[in-house]
Formats: sequence, C-alpha cells, structure tokens
Amino acid sequence: MPAGLPSGSDGRSSLAARPPAIRAAGVDVAFQGPAGIHKVLAGLDIEVADGELLTIIGPSGCGKSTLLRVIADLLDPAAGAIEVFGQPPAVARRRRDVGFVFQDSTLLPWRTVIENLRLPDEVGRGAQVERRDEQGGASAAELITMMGLAGRENAYPHQLSGGQRQRVAIARALLSRPRILLMDEPFGALDEITRDRLNEELLNIWRSTGMTILFVTHSIMEAAYLGERVLVLASNPGRLRELEDLRAVKAAASGSIRENPAFVERMGHLRAVLRTC
Amino acid sequence: MLNGRGQRASATSRVALPVLGALSLLAFWQFLIPLFGVPKYIVPTPWQVMLRIAADPLLLWQNLVPTFIESILGFIIGNLAAILLAIGFVYNKRVEQAYFPVVLFLNTIPVLALAPIIVLIFGIGILPKVIIASIICFFPTLVNMTRGLESVSASEKDLMHVLSASGFEIFWKLRAPRSLPFLFASLRIASTACVVGAIVGEWIGANKGLGAVIIQSTFNYRSDLLYAAIIVSSSLAVAIFLVVTAVERRIINYQ
Ligand SMILES: Nc1ncnc2c1ncn2[C@@H]1O[C@H](COP(=O)(O)OP(=O)(O)OP(=O)(O)O)[C@@H](O)[C@H]1O
Ligand SMILES: [Mg+2]
Repeated sequence: MPAGLPSGSDGRSSLAARPPAIRAAGVDVAFQGPAGIHKVLAGLDIEVADGELLTIIGPSGCGKSTLLRVIADLLDPAAGAIEVFGQPPAVARRRRDVGFVFQDSTLLPWRTVIENLRLPDEVGRGAQVERRDEQGGASAAELITMMGLAGRENAYPHQLSGGQRQRVAIARALLSRPRILLMDEPFGALDEITRDRLNEELLNIWRSTGMTILFVTHSIMEAAYLGERVLVLASNPGRLRELEDLRAVKAAASGSIRENPAFVERMGHLRAVLRTC
Repeated sequence: MLNGRGQRASATSRVALPVLGALSLLAFWQFLIPLFGVPKYIVPTPWQVMLRIAADPLLLWQNLVPTFIESILGFIIGNLAAILLAIGFVYNKRVEQAYFPVVLFLNTIPVLALAPIIVLIFGIGILPKVIIASIICFFPTLVNMTRGLESVSASEKDLMHVLSASGFEIFWKLRAPRSLPFLFASLRIASTACVVGAIVGEWIGANKGLGAVIIQSTFNYRSDLLYAAIIVSSSLAVAIFLVVTAVERRIINYQ
C-alpha cells in the first residue's frame, strides 16, 4: 500500500453521511461555433460523493473533458450551478482541492522528474486561500518512491516511457494533496499491460487516500473495472444517459472481478447503452 | 556505447572529412588558380594571405576592435529590443495583431539596402554601424521570440491555471523556458549577421574597422590585405557564433 499519503479516516461505509464532493445542477456549456451557438453540455445534474471513484464514458465529443474542465474552473458554465465541496470551482481551485491529470502528461521538458514534481510548490502561492493543513502529505521524494520512479529523479521527460511520464503526472497532481483528482483519459496512450498496472496503482492510491476521483476513459473495461459508478454521457448535446452503480456487483464478487459473470453482464449492458449515445 | 564502432567511425569522419575538404580547396586555390593565369593582385594565394596576416597583425587587430565593438553592441541592443517587444506583444494581443504583420513585412526589406540611408542620417561615427547591426539582429529575433513565447500548449496553460499560477509565474516557469530554443535559433543567425551589419556600415562611411580595410585595400589593389581582412572578419563571426552555441548548449541541456 502506498505510504505517506493521508489515509481515509474510515472505510467506504459512511459516504452518505458526508456532504458531496461535487454537485452539478442544470449545467449548460456552450461554445460559439461556425453555425451559431453549439451546446456541449445541456442540463447536466450529477452528485459525486466525497471519496467516490466515478468513471465517465461516452462517445468522442460528448463533453467529457468539458465536464472536468468546468469542475476544475478552466471553463465557466453558461447556465446552472456547480459546487465543489460546497464552494464555487474557483475557490476550490485556489484551495488546491482539485488536481488534474491530462492525457498528454504535460510534463515540462526542461525540468527533470523531481523538478516537474515540485512545480505545484513553486507556483500559485499568492492565490491560495485557507489551505487545508492536513498532516501526513507525501513529500516529492516519497511520491517518487510510491510511484515506482526511484532512480529516475533526475531524468528528463523525453528519457521516460509513456507509462513513467503518466506516473510523474499523477505524482505531481498528488503533491498538492487534492481532495478531488480529475483524470482525463490519463492512460489512453498506453499499452494494455502498462494500463492495467497503472489502474491497479490508482486503485491503491484511491483506497489509501480516500480521495474523490473522476476518471474519463474510452475503455468500457477500464470504466467498469475502476468505477464505483460509471457515468455514461450521450452526445449532441452532452447529457446524462445512464449512471451505472457497480458497487453491489463488486462487493458480491469473489476472485477476479474481470471474469465475474455479473460484472461481465454489466459491461455488456454498458456497451449496449454506449451504442445508443 | 552499444553501437561503438559505428559511432567512433562517424565521429572521426565528422572531424576528418571537413578538414580534408577544406585542405583540398586550399590546395586547389594555392596551386591551380595561378596556373589558370589569374594575376596575384586579383586573387592572392593562401600562402600570401598568411604572410600578410603575419606581417601586419597590429593593423588587423586595430581594425578588428572597432568592428567587434560595433557587432557586439548591435547584437546586444537589437536582440534585447526584440525580446522586450516580443514580451510586449504577447501581453498585448491587440498591439500584436496590429503590428506583427507589419513586422513580418519589414522583415522582408533587405536591411543592407537601408545602410546608406542610416549612414546619411547618423553620420560616420560608431552609431550608424551599431544601428545597422541592431536592425539586422532585431527582426529575426522578434519573430522567433514572439512565436516562442506563444508556443505553450493548451494543456500547459490549463495546468498552470489549475495550480492558480500568477501571470508572472506563467511567464517565468512556462513561457520563457518554452521560448528559449526559438530564441537561440535566431541568436545563432544574429551572431554572424551582426558582423555583416557592422562591416557594411563601415564600407559606406568609416576610416577604421575591418569594413574600411576591405574597401581601401580593394581600391588599392592590395588583395592580400583584402583577403586577410575577410578572414579576420569571418573569424570574428565564427567566434561569436561559437560563444552563442556554447551558451545554448549549457542552457538547453534537456534534449
Ligand atoms: N474551446 C472550444 N471551442 C469550441 N468548441 C469546443 C471547445 N472545446 C470543446 N469544444 C467542443 O465541445 C465538444 C465536446 O468537447 P470535449 O473535449 O468535452 O469532448 P470529449 O467528450 O472529451 O471528447 P473526446 O472523447 O474526443 O476527448 C466537442 O464538440 C468540441 O468540438
Ligand atoms: Mg476529451
């Protein structure tokens, strides 16, 4: 189990008692397109519990990245309300409540692994408000070990494999001890073996930190394997098609979840839903 | 090195082949040009040029110094102005939209064609030479630096915003380092161009400097001195170029 991160105070049992991590009500996002206003998200309602791992899946262009960007205060919704721990996204951002992992790791090529990791410590001090002072946050050095990057501290990004680069990006996001981790197809460009291994590591991190994770993927298997719930978005405009709760199936399964008949059945269902999006 | 043999071979040939190439051309010049009946006062042999450099080191040195000063001042002033203006462009989108196309157009004007006008306006002192050298350095660096500062990706900007980075931090931690490879590409061009600018300025109105030596020795049919001055000029340009590339290698060490 990864060491050094603040551990979840309790198991997954008392989630309902805590206020939600994210609450979106009637969120619209629109862009000015060549043919007038183009609605990307329309009337999206969703509540993500504190500590939940929610995966998001949907056809290309349905607004998955847009949803994450609204939560991260990278984009303002045209209508509707969005709250992150009861606050507007801008406040949550300045509190460093939200971490973001991009599909292309977005490591700065002129910085070594350790220097990339430390970026969050070097910027944004001026804007921060009432930073939560949790104890036990992992240091850059601890995150290096935890993410299996020991010995690579002084390597430059171009000297790393795609999987290692994504590990650095995750470690960098974890350095500010966010309460919510937004991940936009973080493993989309990786081979299947590496992806499976990183999925496993991500679950370990999630279990040991009690963090809320929103994870966008194009893989039904990845979405179902990681998610407690799977949010299926339909496109044009982006809207909620289905919210599939897998917790009961996973709790009841013994042995390898991937081969569990009930789980496989739910995946088939997700695939059928996706075809209609 | 895994591919040791191949790399050693290529390292040797990287040095040896150009040296051989240069020597063969010098030999051709030394022995064949006179055979074709080209008179010595038009094209001296390399050996005569060497003798001239050995005979007149003080003359060449005294004329190298002003050219060097004009080139370096032009290099520093032109590039510095370009960098500052590029930063201004990046933070004032409207100004950039208004003036960047104009800059691209001005960039196509052969600056050397403007040299007589500049000498006419600023006289025969050091100033017009520095101005010509600066202008030659200015435009390529302005274009490259503007592009470099803007070469940040959307996700890099997103990353900085999620971290609540200030505009100042975004500049120093993201835009500036991103722009450095672009900047050095134009500094390498400027390193030799500034010498050209200074020498052209001296052609038109000066009684000292390598450009003045070139003009005077041409008119006096002292072709050995002319060639010696040319060799000293290109050595100066190569020296500045090597300094720039050495600095570049120290700063951009991540590729
Ligand atoms: N800045 C923008 N300006 C205009 N349109 C945009 C902008 N950003 C996104 N869009 C449009 O919004 C829609 C949703 O984009 P988004 O990136 O959220 O999709 P996505 O679900 O993440 O797709 P993918 O799976 O391909 O990543 C697309 O049609 C896209 O063209
Ligand atoms: Mg996307």
